[in-house]
Amino acid sequence: MIKNNIWRAIINYFFILLIFLAILQFYFFYHLNLGWALLTSFIFALGLGWIFFKQVISPLKKINTVTKAISQGNLNQELPLYEQKEVSQLAQNINDLVRQQKKILAQITAEKNRMQTILNSMTEGVVALDNQGNVLLLNSAVENFLGVTREAYLGKNILNLIRNYDLERAVKQALKSERPITQEFQLIYPEPNFYYLKATPLKNQEQEKEGIVLLLRNITKEKKLDQMRTEFVANVSHELRTPLTSISGFLETLREGAIDDPAAAHRSLEIMSQETNRLAKLIDELLHLSKIEERRVVHRWQLVQLKEIINQVAVTFQPQAQQKSLTLTVEIPVELPSISGDPDLLAQVLTNLVDNSIKYTLPGGQVLIRATTYRDNVQVEVKDTGIGIPPEDLPRVFERFYRVEKARARELGGIGVGLAIVKHIIKAHGGSIKAESIPNQGSSFKVTLPAEVRSEM
Amino acid sequence: MRARSTFEQELTDLQQDILRLASLTEETIYRAVQFLLQQDAAGANQIISGDVLIDKLAQEIEDKCVKLIATQQPIAHDLRLSITSLKFLVSLERMADYAVDIARATLYIYGYPLNRQLMEYTSKMSRVVQQMIKEALDAYVNNDAQRAREMCSLDDEVDFISAKIFQEAIRAMREKTQPQIVIPAVYFLLISRYLERIADHATNIGEEVIFLITGEKRELN
Ligand SMILES: Nc1ncnc2c1ncn2[C@@H]1O[C@H](COP(=O)(O)OP(=O)(O)OP(=O)(O)O)[C@@H](O)[C@H]1O
Ligand SMILES: [Mg+2]
Repeated sequence: MIKNNIWRAIINYFFILLIFLAILQFYFFYHLNLGWALLTSFIFALGLGWIFFKQVISPLKKINTVTKAISQGNLNQELPLYEQKEVSQLAQNINDLVRQQKKILAQITAEKNRMQTILNSMTEGVVALDNQGNVLLLNSAVENFLGVTREAYLGKNILNLIRNYDLERAVKQALKSERPITQEFQLIYPEPNFYYLKATPLKNQEQEKEGIVLLLRNITKEKKLDQMRTEFVANVSHELRTPLTSISGFLETLREGAIDDPAAAHRSLEIMSQETNRLAKLIDELLHLSKIEERRVVHRWQLVQLKEIINQVAVTFQPQAQQKSLTLTVEIPVELPSISGDPDLLAQVLTNLVDNSIKYTLPGGQVLIRATTYRDNVQVEVKDTGIGIPPEDLPRVFERFYRVEKARARELGGIGVGLAIVKHIIKAHGGSIKAESIPNQGSSFKVTLPAEVRSEM
Repeated sequence: MRARSTFEQELTDLQQDILRLASLTEETIYRAVQFLLQQDAAGANQIISGDVLIDKLAQEIEDKCVKLIATQQPIAHDLRLSITSLKFLVSLERMADYAVDIARATLYIYGYPLNRQLMEYTSKMSRVVQQMIKEALDAYVNNDAQRAREMCSLDDEVDFISAKIFQEAIRAMREKTQPQIVIPAVYFLLISRYLERIADHATNIGEEVIFLITGEKRELN
């Protein structure tokens, strides 16, 4: 191509010079020395051609290759500046253009990275699909939900990414619809979780539909809470119902004549009074629990000497322990850091724990309250040699109304809110509680509370 | 050229259809086992009535697939793809049927006292079986022959737990003190059988995936 060009240029020069020389010879010498004219024209044509090549063709050739590379996306190209003014100008313009392009590209990349970062920092999953339902992009949350890496699924149909019938149906519907579509569904893998899906149409600048965006939220926790709430209401109703049934039953027997039999009347009244107490206690505890849960208890926040509280609780429970032939012992180091909190609430924690230990330990057993310091924490452990808690029940004993073997606990007068109250109080104090137990050997509840390092709060 | 590209589109569609059916089957099996372990009779009934949908879907896909083979006469890899799709269909549908059997068993043992040990074994076995299904389908989605090969080794574990269930069921039935335990024990035996069959079908799918990718036919167990 270039070779061709240069020969054309040389031939052009050659003929122009030849004609010029011929006319010149006719004019001055009236005869034509063709050999000389040919030779001279040829030599000059070669020289001119060479100059033309150096100044125009060769730079153009360079520009040609460079612009080709640029059009293929390689922007790291810079043209040298040439002698020839116009060519130099052209090279300069191309360089400017490339620089401009680079800048725009860098901006777009930065923008894209920013969007990606935002997408990836979301807790909701985002998946964009094209009109065929193929994956255009997905964020880290989705990768985490599904336990996949995004590269493997870009360009593939959504069914490859999330194998779920309900979801796919919603996606299909959304692809046809102009309006957002919502749906709940359950994924089995990697863990059985519930998700809320919102599928919104994706439009381009011309308002044409280009696909859809899926927003996924993990709602497993909410679902569980919902279920717990329902169970809670059912439990409360049940707990209120049972004593009431008993009371109304005995009222009935009294009405039907038992009132005239002093012994029977006395027994009925006795039971009715017991059940009434039970109801009253239940309602008290419920109120207490709800107050603590709503943080409506006025905290008397102050520096607390746990030692005093422990000893106080131990003294209160001593008669009960003796009655059941249990040994109740206290172990407190001489130096126990104080903590900040509400003394009444903390006493309540210990009371509930010791109450349980005494309740759920058979006669002849032992109950131990032990306080220790651990790093910046104070740990109080209530340990017994009682009947223990089966491992499958252990994680649930802190739930409201949860009791191991309802019948057994009921006999002992428990309604199952003691530990729920304990947990809330501990949480309000920034501490934690851990339960360990071996059935038929005993249980241990360890409360950890942050020690007060400063002297005053 | 044009005919070719519509054919390719049809093949892709067919694969999507298979995945759709697979998702239904996978979920149905999961739910059926879940309802069994939770003794949820209403749920079990749902599974039984849901089978119509699976059968209908399978029938539709089968028709499509047969038509595709008949009209386009695919060759080489495309032919393999069409044929494996047909085989998948059969396996997936059969698997879903076993899920329905499990749901029926759930209804039959409803209200009987249940042997904890048997429940636990069944739960464990179902987890392995579901893992196999998942791996087989993932291998299909990702074109991963290696994964398909690995998945088939899980079958040994299924057999192992199945033997345990057998022993425990026999032991429970021999105990004369609790005659009510016999009926649920028998059903748990059947259920372990169903799960085993589901695992076999999962293995079949795994083998087909290997055939599809490598073109080689091999018995995996
Ligand atoms: N030390 C313990 N040993 C054995 N079981 C325990 C112990 N502490 C708690 N539990 C079990 O955990 C359950 C929940 O305890 P929680 O204190 O919340 O309720 P409760 O004692 O039954 O009733 P109450 O509300 O009157 O305290 C109890 O029913 C009991 O089964
Ligand atoms: Mg208690």
